[in-house]
Amino acid sequence: MLPTPYVKCDYEKVYEPAEDSFLLLDSLEKDLQFLQTRFDGNLAIVCELGPGSGIVTTFMMQNNIPSHNGALYLALDINPWALEGTLQTATLNNCIKENGHSGYLEPVQSDLTTGLRDKQVDLLVFNPPYVPAEEVPEIPDTKENIDQWLDLALLGGVDGMEITGKVLDSLETVLSPKGVAYILFCARNKPEQLVQKIMQEDPSWDIELIEHRKAGWEVLSVYRFMHK
Amino acid sequence: MKVLTTNFLKCSVKACDVSNDNFPLQYEGAKCQLVQNENIEFNPEFMLNILERVEWDAVVRVVSELGNAGLPTTKPELPADADQLSEEDIIILRDLHTLLIQTSITEGEMKCRNCGHIYFIKNSIPNLLLPPHLA
Ligand SMILES: C[S@@+](CC[C@H](N)C(=O)[O-])C[C@H]1O[C@@H](n2cnc3c(N)ncnc32)[C@H](O)[C@@H]1O
Ligand SMILES: [Zn+2]
Repeated sequence: MLPTPYVKCDYEKVYEPAEDSFLLLDSLEKDLQFLQTRFDGNLAIVCELGPGSGIVTTFMMQNNIPSHNGALYLALDINPWALEGTLQTATLNNCIKENGHSGYLEPVQSDLTTGLRDKQVDLLVFNPPYVPAEEVPEIPDTKENIDQWLDLALLGGVDGMEITGKVLDSLETVLSPKGVAYILFCARNKPEQLVQKIMQEDPSWDIELIEHRKAGWEVLSVYRFMHK
Repeated sequence: MKVLTTNFLKCSVKACDVSNDNFPLQYEGAKCQLVQNENIEFNPEFMLNILERVEWDAVVRVVSELGNAGLPTTKPELPADADQLSEEDIIILRDLHTLLIQTSITEGEMKCRNCGHIYFIKNSIPNLLLPPHLA
């Protein structure tokens, strides 16, 4: 078992790590060897979408995932509190400038990957807002509208897929040629059907179920997306 | 935000994707506050990997907007493997480490050269969110 970061954030403003976060950590741990082999030390950019408290990015930095040669870890969240939380968690776990950790963290406030130069991300990780809801909440006007930021962490609109759908549509543009993405789903997102459809439309995709787990009344799963 | 990161950010406006002017963003040197953190450790393997990715012309442009005109106009040629680095190579990489990784923009502004939208950097964090009418 790899060590898990120590996390302490204000959970009124930032998503508190839960079963979904841990399933993502477990998936990355399970694929450690795979990732090391695929990149063989040659990669530059890791990007987590929606880092929230920073637990996943810090876990990757702390354990040199995917490589001991380091990377630029971009942490992109729409919630300004999450970016502060991510910095705080990384600092708390000595991932900012300490020896032994070879990565460099960069928090960026943005809406998904709209502000990233194309085809640069080698490893993309996303635990999205996946809960089905009538619609995706609007972005709050001010940083101080605290509860509204938390709604954005949970609610994914129709089928819980409005945000994840955008990310899937942009994978081709965002990932580097060898790039790999780990994305979390709940059963109500209907991930099996979706994966079938993507592979039928473009057989060059290689998509695999890495982990799945029952969490309360949800069944969560993590799929890995890459090109063959 | 590290100077390195300027090489990976473009304008968030979708319509600007078809232009060639949405990257790199334009940095207003006079309004950018730079801070150097010498504690950030040098990692030659990472420098080699990231330099392979970097668009050199954009680095030269941004760095000169920030007030440093000393970069060569072409990307330095370096071996693929850190074991084969000469002493001179190491000096080059260390200088780039100082410039790209140890130097950050703590406060500042960056503007899209296509649509003119201005993005802000506050407390070292760049904000690429668009106001609702542009998103
Ligand atoms: C379910 S939480 C996951 C938090 C953390 N990664 C974890 O696993 O504990 C989803 C995160 O996505 C962020 N988010 C929601 N919509 C976003 C968007 N359009 N762009 C960027 N981040 C977004 C939320 O602010 C929240 O931090
Ligand atoms: Zn623009």
